Amino acid sequence: MLHVWLSGIEGLLQLRELTFLALGMAIGLVFGAIPGLGGSTALALLMPLTYGLEPFTALALSGGVMGAVPMGGSITAILLNAPGTAPNAATCIDGYPLAQQGKAGLAIGAAASANSLGGIIGTISVLAVLPVAKELVLLFGPPEFFLLAILGLVVVATTSRGKMLRGLVTGGFGLMVAFIGYDNVSGDVRFTYGVEYLWDGVRLVPALIGLFAVAEMINLMVKGGAVARDAGTVKITRTMSGVIETFRHPGTVLRGSLVGTVVGAIPGVGGVVASFLSYSLTVQASKDPDSFGKGNIEGVIAPEAAINAKDCSALIPTLAFGIPGGAEMAVFLGILVLHGLQPGPLMLIQNQTEIYGLVWALTASCILASCIGLLLIRPLAMVTLIESEVLAPIVICIALVGSFAIDGQIGNVVVTAVFGILGYLMLRFDYPRLTVVVALVLGGTAERSFHQAMMMNNGSWSIFVDRWVSALLLAVIVILLGSPALRILTRRVRKRPIAVEEPQT
Amino acid sequence: MPDLQRRFLLASLGVSGAALMLRRPAFAATNFPDKNIAFVIPDGPGGGFDSYVRAITPAMEKALPHKVTVVPTNVPGAGGARAANEIFRARPDGAMIGIFNVPGIYIQQERGNAGFDLEKLTWIGRVGVDHYGLAVGENSRIKSVDDLKALAKQRPVKFTSTGPAGTAYNATLIAAHLLGIRAQLITGYKGSRDYVMGAVRGDSDAVITAIPTLRRMAAGKTLRILATFEEHGSVPGAADATALGQPELANITLQRLVAGPPGLTADIKAALAAAITKALADPQVVGWAKKADAGLAPEGPEQAIATLKGQIAFYNKWKPYLKAGQ
Repeated sequence: MLHVWLSGIEGLLQLRELTFLALGMAIGLVFGAIPGLGGSTALALLMPLTYGLEPFTALALSGGVMGAVPMGGSITAILLNAPGTAPNAATCIDGYPLAQQGKAGLAIGAAASANSLGGIIGTISVLAVLPVAKELVLLFGPPEFFLLAILGLVVVATTSRGKMLRGLVTGGFGLMVAFIGYDNVSGDVRFTYGVEYLWDGVRLVPALIGLFAVAEMINLMVKGGAVARDAGTVKITRTMSGVIETFRHPGTVLRGSLVGTVVGAIPGVGGVVASFLSYSLTVQASKDPDSFGKGNIEGVIAPEAAINAKDCSALIPTLAFGIPGGAEMAVFLGILVLHGLQPGPLMLIQNQTEIYGLVWALTASCILASCIGLLLIRPLAMVTLIESEVLAPIVICIALVGSFAIDGQIGNVVVTAVFGILGYLMLRFDYPRLTVVVALVLGGTAERSFHQAMMMNNGSWSIFVDRWVSALLLAVIVILLGSPALRILTRRVRKRPIAVEEPQT
Repeated sequence: MPDLQRRFLLASLGVSGAALMLRRPAFAATNFPDKNIAFVIPDGPGGGFDSYVRAITPAMEKALPHKVTVVPTNVPGAGGARAANEIFRARPDGAMIGIFNVPGIYIQQERGNAGFDLEKLTWIGRVGVDHYGLAVGENSRIKSVDDLKALAKQRPVKFTSTGPAGTAYNATLIAAHLLGIRAQLITGYKGSRDYVMGAVRGDSDAVITAIPTLRRMAAGKTLRILATFEEHGSVPGAADATALGQPELANITLQRLVAGPPGLTADIKAALAAAITKALADPQVVGWAKKADAGLAPEGPEQAIATLKGQIAFYNKWKPYLKAGQ
């Protein structure tokens, strides 16, 4: 095994491969930072250019892009509440409040180091898992996908502390939107009201750009001032503190990385689930859950560690079965096919050097991008000092153009604008946006997998308990749903003796 | 005299003008292409149709009479109907063409998910064709088509597939009927990779899909091919349509045809068809097809129309059965 790992490194340590890796990293960083563009757009634009390259060089370039995109995305998520890529939306929740408190340096420092650590842990996990990748992927079928989707929704709903009902309302709205478009089960187009754009459903990335970037800029314009409300408090020099913060929370990094690795390896679930699940589990595990959403550094570390770990493990279903985990992996799959590398079980045996070379390229790029991110913190954090009259129009313009650039559809711009207004109203009336995002991502999977599971078992629900992975997932869901009631019950039991004593005194 | 001269001059100008005007279409045609060409793919990046287009566009650019860029443009949605609508509405100037899944797009038209008319599109040619085959998971107890038939006597045989509007769904229903297998379809899978993976996992008893996909999975020891729906089988050990006694199975195919909007002029159509034919013979494309196990099968405009009509006739024959099956 070691010689294959080394041959991967050896292949990468050539001048041409390193040059293309660095080029990919730079492109990934820029495309990651611009909301709407992201890794899939970068790879799609680079695809024709890779045609003339050797397959290994093309993989180095792609690995460079994919490894650096999350770092670029986290920078704008923290500074402007505008997630560069969809998974970075989870980073906004605590990253942006930190930027508002003038701690952008701290947040980016933590994000960069969490990114690198997540990438490294993800790589180690993938190296360990690749030999048994086939078996792992085959454990998850429609019943497990359905329960995973439900688990995602439950985890997020239980983190909407004190706003459970509001969370359910926005989650329900997200589900309704997720069902718009072509139904793969029945083959019918539904809820589109004759709008052709909606045949492919409401696209996630334009909706996220609206929900976060545009909504926040509207909010900033209404309130006035800069992102960092009190310019005097901005401490851009706290870069190292951010890095140290990551190392002070090894549990959060490890949890995030493992969540990222597991979720990434499950085909079709995607990075958004990884980052939000990691965030939600960190909130659940915290002794001070109420501090999340207000600028808790763990809220930045958790999703960032998950995102890069996920990018590594998402290679497993993509390479082993040709099933991409998300848009970025789908385009990457196109690059593989273009170079005659046919993803499938045979690829794991025949193209080991290329696969390990790619894993190393991803890791190297993610560490390099984090270092560059750290170097650029100072000039980048100045963005938080720009007045809203200057910043908001620029960001809204970039957001709308980025949204259009995804696939040249004007419908994307409309979706971004509508979700921008909706996001602002949700901010204004204090409705959680997190549940909308998760419902949008998981709604389609939940519905489709439920139908498939029922068809597999002739309409009998027993399929959800007959398979051990499903049964395990179901148990976790029941425990999570029951935990608030259990907590209330324990609190009452503990309080009871005091309540009995009170009348006597 | 000067008057005569003036008349002569005016007449000459008039004649030259008329000649120029008459020449204009020919001039415009020979000038084709004068701008970039969008090559629409009715699917997202990474799939079979996407790979075909991305593999042939660089060679197509070399083969076109003028230097322009052919831009692969993904327009996914509604089983290809969105892309078809876009091409149908495009201006007939050759700046937009698209690859079509036949018979998939015809099934969409028949379901009413369409603002297009396939017969009015300008058919330019065919780039590839895939035949279908039948396979089971590597560890399945089913060893032959006869085993499947025996199982069908006890209960319906489960097949994974796309939705009722998909090519695979209809191919599975027709093939199972021809083989005398009572079928129950588990639908909702997004594409061929997805539902083949479902069969590997054991979501179903068997799967029917394009042979290259089956071959790839079989080489990785995840699927076992029981039959191929070809006149002469290409997979050793698997029964073919002739051996199964059902030559009609060979009509179940996935055709990759190329068309432009209605009213494309003959010159533009000819230029595009020639470029695609040349591109398909390009060593780089041929090399790619060999490595990717892609079934390149070039056809000119007339043959492509015949192929389209043949597929429409085949599906029309099965329409009542397919409707009842849904």
